[in-house]
Amino acid sequence: MPNIAVFIEHRSGVLKKVAWQMLSEARRLADAHGGEVWGVFLGPDAAPAAATAGKHGADKVFAATGDAFAVYDSELWGTALAAFCTARKPDLVLVGSTALGKDLAPKAAAKLGCACISDAVGLKFDGGWEIRRPIFAGKCFADVTFSTPLAIVGIRPNAFVMAESPKAGAVESFDPGLDGVRSKAKVMSVEAATSGKVTLTEAEIVVSGGRGIKGPENYPLIEKLAEALGAAAGASRAIVDAGWVDYSHQVGQTGKTVAPNLYVACGISGAIQHLAGMSSSKCIVAINKDANAPIFKVADYGIVGDLFAVLPALTDEVGRIRG
Amino acid sequence: MKIAVCVKQVPDSETRINLAAPAPELDQSGFTRVLNPYDAYAVEQAVRIKESREGVEVTAITVGPQTVKETLKKDCLAVGCDKAVIVDDPALAKADHAAIATVLAAVLGREPYDLVLFGLKAIDGDAGQVGILVAQKLGLPHVSTITKLELGEGSLKAEREIEGGKEIVEASLPCVLTCQKGLNEPRLPSLPNIMKAGMKPIETVTCRDLGIEAPANLVTVKLYSPPPARGACKLVEAEDPAAAARELARLLSEEAKVI
Repeated sequence: MPNIAVFIEHRSGVLKKVAWQMLSEARRLADAHGGEVWGVFLGPDAAPAAATAGKHGADKVFAATGDAFAVYDSELWGTALAAFCTARKPDLVLVGSTALGKDLAPKAAAKLGCACISDAVGLKFDGGWEIRRPIFAGKCFADVTFSTPLAIVGIRPNAFVMAESPKAGAVESFDPGLDGVRSKAKVMSVEAATSGKVTLTEAEIVVSGGRGIKGPENYPLIEKLAEALGAAAGASRAIVDAGWVDYSHQVGQTGKTVAPNLYVACGISGAIQHLAGMSSSKCIVAINKDANAPIFKVADYGIVGDLFAVLPALTDEVGRIRG
Repeated sequence: MKIAVCVKQVPDSETRINLAAPAPELDQSGFTRVLNPYDAYAVEQAVRIKESREGVEVTAITVGPQTVKETLKKDCLAVGCDKAVIVDDPALAKADHAAIATVLAAVLGREPYDLVLFGLKAIDGDAGQVGILVAQKLGLPHVSTITKLELGEGSLKAEREIEGGKEIVEASLPCVLTCQKGLNEPRLPSLPNIMKAGMKPIETVTCRDLGIEAPANLVTVKLYSPPPARGACKLVEAEDPAAAARELARLLSEEAKVI
């Protein structure tokens, strides 16, 4: 009868969707095996988080509120999550694999001396836990178990399907244990990037460009299609290394690993390190003038043709379909 | 000022992995091994600090068998690190990131470092935890996923990549940093420097020398490479690119139902 806690992340008050995906999966596991599903929230106001968490299957939401949780701070938030685990003893804590979650999960695990598993995409309970995670950027998967009573598990955004399963989601406050704890590395300000409104790792659709776009002046073709699709704009390592696009757009083994519902590869040949970063995508489209490009081997749909002619037409048509 | 850079040797990013059947471990014997690409940013940053100030010493630290020496020489010592430490112990063959963090914290605990640099993750295990675990074990502040660093006297200011932007973070020294692509452009070693790197000291130690045991708390049950379950690619053919684009959009909307 495992109790599963799900960390509900907010950034400047905006709640992250990965929390609802994790709660939905935790609910499915609890319905099958017993145990409770808990939300854990650190932030100024727990009410909005608790309302949505209840909708997605949280029996309770444990919250610590206060100014310390307005902006992320590794030391303070790590202390609070560890304090929650010590007090409530969940069997598993799920934390979204976001910029914040990837920092918080090992921090709290190190304080607790418990196992920490990064970037998981599958959870199986059969008396004990088996956690599935990609390694080598998805060229290989590992099923792992742990020997500590608790594990903190990072969950990749979009790994689980969001579902509604209303539960009470009643808020209960907990003591984050911050007496005498001081910030060690302080976030002084947050700057939003000017380009790319949808972020790569959380996007449901990604449109990426490669060397086939011929130069940085043509990257807007990718961005326009991405905008029409409500997608994030990605890039191959080749055009990042060439300085055409900022590295934060890079998809592949030395960039971001993505698994969206739809991945559109434009002018990307499909180097092994790129395929590793996107081949778990549910539907893959390749647009490339070389019919022999390896990208067509992993694609579900393809157009062998000139992307300079195809992309504007595709952007228009998508705009028409999506209204 | 003393800087430590913790590095790992990994199979290069062109490595193909094909497991015929699920297996408890990966036969890595045929893999080409290189410095983890993210660690190259950490090494480069350490060397740039050394070049910009007086009296900086850079130590590269790694865990692995003696075959890691080649990587240490070519990609760390030949580009400017002063010395290296290898923790080589058969007991670490199945070490997980918690065990590696215990080992590195023990090495780092032998003398005080002002700055400890890591790559943000290794491209084989993809965990991205070790730097943060080490910081907590040593009681030091950390800033993860940095893309810019300004070092002051006794303090630093770093930019950290987040979704759709960046955080500006300040911390005091000593501090642990994990490095992201974009931080710098790593240099390549010159042939004379590779020759000279052979003269720089490399110390080998065991867990016993460090006075530690480093048990793993994760157990890999099985590994498998993803099945090539995809059907053949449906090529959209039409009289002109615009018609092909329209047909593709229709298929994505009506057949695949993804837009």
